[in-house]
Amino acid sequence: MKLDYSLVTRRTFLNTLFGGWVATFCAGSLYALWRGAFPTLGKEPDFVVLNAASDYLEIPPNSTKPFAWGGKLGLIFKRSDNTVVALKGVCSHMECNIVYKPENKRFYCPCHKGWFDEFGKNVEGPPPKPLEFFEYRVEDGKLIVHKQGIKVELPKA
Amino acid sequence: MMKWLEERYDLSDLKEFAKKKHVPAHKHELWYYTGGVALFLIAFQFVTGMILALYYVPYFEQAHKSIIEIVTKLNMGWFFRSVHHWGAQLAIGFLFAHLFATLLLKAYRKPRELLWFSGFILMGISIFFGLSGYFLLWDERAFAAVRVATGGLSAIPLIGDTIKAFLRGGIDVTGETLVRFYAFHVCVLPMATLLLLVIHLALVQHHGMSVPISQQGKESRPTPFFPNALYKDAIIWLIVLGIVVTLATLLPPEIGIKADPLAPPPENVKPEWYFLFLFQTLKLFPGDILGLNGEVIAVMLVVLAMGFCFLIPFFDRKSHAGQRSSVFTLIGTLYLAYFIVMTIVGYFS
Repeated sequence: MKLDYSLVTRRTFLNTLFGGWVATFCAGSLYALWRGAFPTLGKEPDFVVLNAASDYLEIPPNSTKPFAWGGKLGLIFKRSDNTVVALKGVCSHMECNIVYKPENKRFYCPCHKGWFDEFGKNVEGPPPKPLEFFEYRVEDGKLIVHKQGIKVELPKA
Repeated sequence: MMKWLEERYDLSDLKEFAKKKHVPAHKHELWYYTGGVALFLIAFQFVTGMILALYYVPYFEQAHKSIIEIVTKLNMGWFFRSVHHWGAQLAIGFLFAHLFATLLLKAYRKPRELLWFSGFILMGISIFFGLSGYFLLWDERAFAAVRVATGGLSAIPLIGDTIKAFLRGGIDVTGETLVRFYAFHVCVLPMATLLLLVIHLALVQHHGMSVPISQQGKESRPTPFFPNALYKDAIIWLIVLGIVVTLATLLPPEIGIKADPLAPPPENVKPEWYFLFLFQTLKLFPGDILGLNGEVIAVMLVVLAMGFCFLIPFFDRKSHAGQRSSVFTLIGTLYLAYFIVMTIVGYFS
């Protein structure tokens, strides 16, 4: 039924009204489901504080010691020339943990056979990027490992 | 019993339908049983999975231990874990056989495009079933596999990171990922499977079995479905069940060392056999191809190849028109050859 002065029929008007209501309902529900399906993402830490710095810094040359970088693996690594560095022990290819091979003086990823040299450069296999290095300093016997270019100040106790 | 039902419901249509249903008979018909076997194995996985779900604890501190307890302490627990494992292996195997048979016999051609799409999605769901089920072990190998599988997806431009976060439930593979994968494995994926399976089977019923183009006009008299085809199905299902139980008894699956996010993955770690072709592809690509990220290129090529395979009914114009299409037989053979060769290379590497 269409009144003379009306632009649309009553049926069109009601269908549009109802359709709009259904569309809004669906969009709202989908948005809520989408939000609910995602947790609040954490982020990687900017720094970690390790007790007993000497445990980490006094490892034998040509070896590594693991620490927890958030949920990921971090490594303190003493090269054969006694320089100590901190790096993320995660392969730049598919995020597998890497392992140091002292006999080759290289880091190795067992997942897809990737190799990195002592300076973290990807030298063989699929890894597309070098390893990520951190900076560190010792304060009150504690080892503070932090991302490059980040300033960390611990609260004074 | 029949009389009781017949007094209340009109069953004459059903009886008529059972009498009339025939399946085509031709020399490639053996391949058409792969779908039925896959259906049987999926049902088998549903039932054995229900038993395991009664005892499995989906929490990262207890998951590994609860599986050991299922295998060592629960009545018949070793048996159910073992048949669930082998049922899954065979289900994936028969699904691949079903998929490649459909691809090579061009059963995807008009008017069965929707059958191909629903089947292809079911294949994807089954692979995800495999990955999520296998992660529930929470051992070193499973942990590395899920890190790689979810990490690899983030190489897809634009949407990769969203998919990764959705699957992992965070930025890393953690205990939260385990809960998620459990929910996928026992709730989301079974529901999706049921829905798609109903559609898939209804479509099979609607279109009837496809007859390969090469066999058109050469078929012998169609076989009645009740009871001839059904009995053949039942015989094959029984043989497959026998194989599953035999494998499960003689070769029970292992469980590795409990996963530790900070430990390196075991030496020469490998995924399940149906991921080997992807695994080998990833190993093949160097990190840097003409200044571009090799990982992104590898993942994009895999996505494109799968996309092309998914949409193949639209590309294959010849079989669409009912003509023989040797180009697409070649393409299908290439897909199959790549899958087989890479799986073997990956297995022995």
